[in-house]
Amino acid sequence: MTTVTELRIRLRLALLAVVTLVGVLLPALPAAPHEASMAVITLREIAPGRYLGQWTMPPADPTLQPIFPAHCRWEPPELVCGERGLIGRLSFMGLGSTQSVATIRVIPRDGPMQAYTVSAAKPTAMAARDPGTDLAVWLDLAETYVNLGIDHILRGIDHLLFVLGLIWLTSSGWMLVRTITAFTVGHSISLAAATFGWVGIPEKPLNAAIALSIVFVGVEIVKLQRGEIGLTARYPWIVAFAFGLLHGLGFATALTNLGIPQATLPIALLFFNIGVEIGQLAFVFAVLALIWAHRQARAVLPRWGAALPAYAIGSIAAFWFLARV
Amino acid sequence: MRTKARLLAAATVAAALAAPTAAHAHLVDTRLGDFYGGALHPLTELDQLLPWVALAALAAFQGARRARWVIVAFPLALLAGGAAALLLPAPPFGPILGIGLVAATGLALAAAARLPLPVLIGLSTVMGLLHGLQNGQGLPASTDRLLFLAGATAAGYAVMTLATGGALAFLRGVGGWRPIALRATGSWVAAVGIMVLGLQFAAPATAG
Repeated sequence: MTTVTELRIRLRLALLAVVTLVGVLLPALPAAPHEASMAVITLREIAPGRYLGQWTMPPADPTLQPIFPAHCRWEPPELVCGERGLIGRLSFMGLGSTQSVATIRVIPRDGPMQAYTVSAAKPTAMAARDPGTDLAVWLDLAETYVNLGIDHILRGIDHLLFVLGLIWLTSSGWMLVRTITAFTVGHSISLAAATFGWVGIPEKPLNAAIALSIVFVGVEIVKLQRGEIGLTARYPWIVAFAFGLLHGLGFATALTNLGIPQATLPIALLFFNIGVEIGQLAFVFAVLALIWAHRQARAVLPRWGAALPAYAIGSIAAFWFLARV
Repeated sequence: MRTKARLLAAATVAAALAAPTAAHAHLVDTRLGDFYGGALHPLTELDQLLPWVALAALAAFQGARRARWVIVAFPLALLAGGAAALLLPAPPFGPILGIGLVAATGLALAAAARLPLPVLIGLSTVMGLLHGLQNGQGLPASTDRLLFLAGATAAGYAVMTLATGGALAFLRGVGGWRPIALRATGSWVAAVGIMVLGLQFAAPATAG
């Protein structure tokens, strides 16, 4: 009896914590799935130290311009770097909220293609002739992709809403740990599988299914509030793992769209996933802190409004589903 | 010696508060878009963050039943103020009122004043409206205003909730020194507010 009462109190606290956030966020939520706004410029080496550049994925912000090392001369579409070749710092001018990520792909006359991704958080990348042996380049890669992972989860309101639903469904700290871990394992598996090209789902139905997963969680929360403690409430980690597989495929689109060469793909995947986990944990701790603060202030929703946030989340996710279909 | 150090610290905070005399919105590039830019904007403005924390501590002195109203009233007022900024210019008395609110909230906290609930809600609403108005001013055309204001409101909600909950938990702890510590904090906030208020009035005279 006490457990059920505690569960109800916890739920109401979570409801109140969420209702304000949802109320604030709802008007601003995009109907379309969140996508990393990126641009890709491809440089093909036509003679030693001479490259021909072309935007293969044009920037959303037309003022975006690549910045090459000082010894290189950029006169679009030609880049001349002389005998040293294209080595040194690469960057972009104009990265910001409109254009958050940009990639420079270099196709040498001999050797594999290389890709250098730059974001507003990590505004430079280091180009080297052989990234496989250069520690600085690997560290550079780690910094870039960890930041990209953090960016992706924090900008992905659909993923965050799903995680919020999972927190809501759990009744104890230990169950929350298991549930979030299951979600992490699930999305890590599918993220790796999709990035390596072992599995693939077209982006539209995938994004629609992700929206549907949030609707499902919303329905389960309402059922739980009505006292119908089903499989999801008892074992939320199963739902977390299953839908984690789905969300991982969504995470993968951020990586596969960058066109990372196979040689650097495993390390990029690893660091991207670490970034996603950092962002996810930060969100979980923020929500838990807000729940704790609401408990201290005894700020709970009235009984009549307890189900409103769940309906709000379900409704907005249903809207996403329809918009994405 | 300690008094001198305290005065120096208060003067430093006062100088930081006095610097942005006009209502303006500096954009914080978070790389994560305008929502997070809006969320970080008030958090990097001492003249907003300081009275928020003081208001939360003042609310905690009123007990949980009254304090929880601040968690609702303040973010809603912040949002309303931000929305009003899309239509209205910044009020000329905004900076003075803002500093006055810092001083008044600090004084009330230092005195551990027991406020009637309408007064507490009114104070939260006025502060929220004013800061919302200030947050929404001077945004570049490229900024998504809806996202920016949503971010600022979410930050207001999060800060107010965490600070109120934290202050309530702090006051519930064992030790008679806890209310004194919070009141001392209030006296610092009041001192800063009064110093900046003085600077505001002194500045035109010295400039001439």
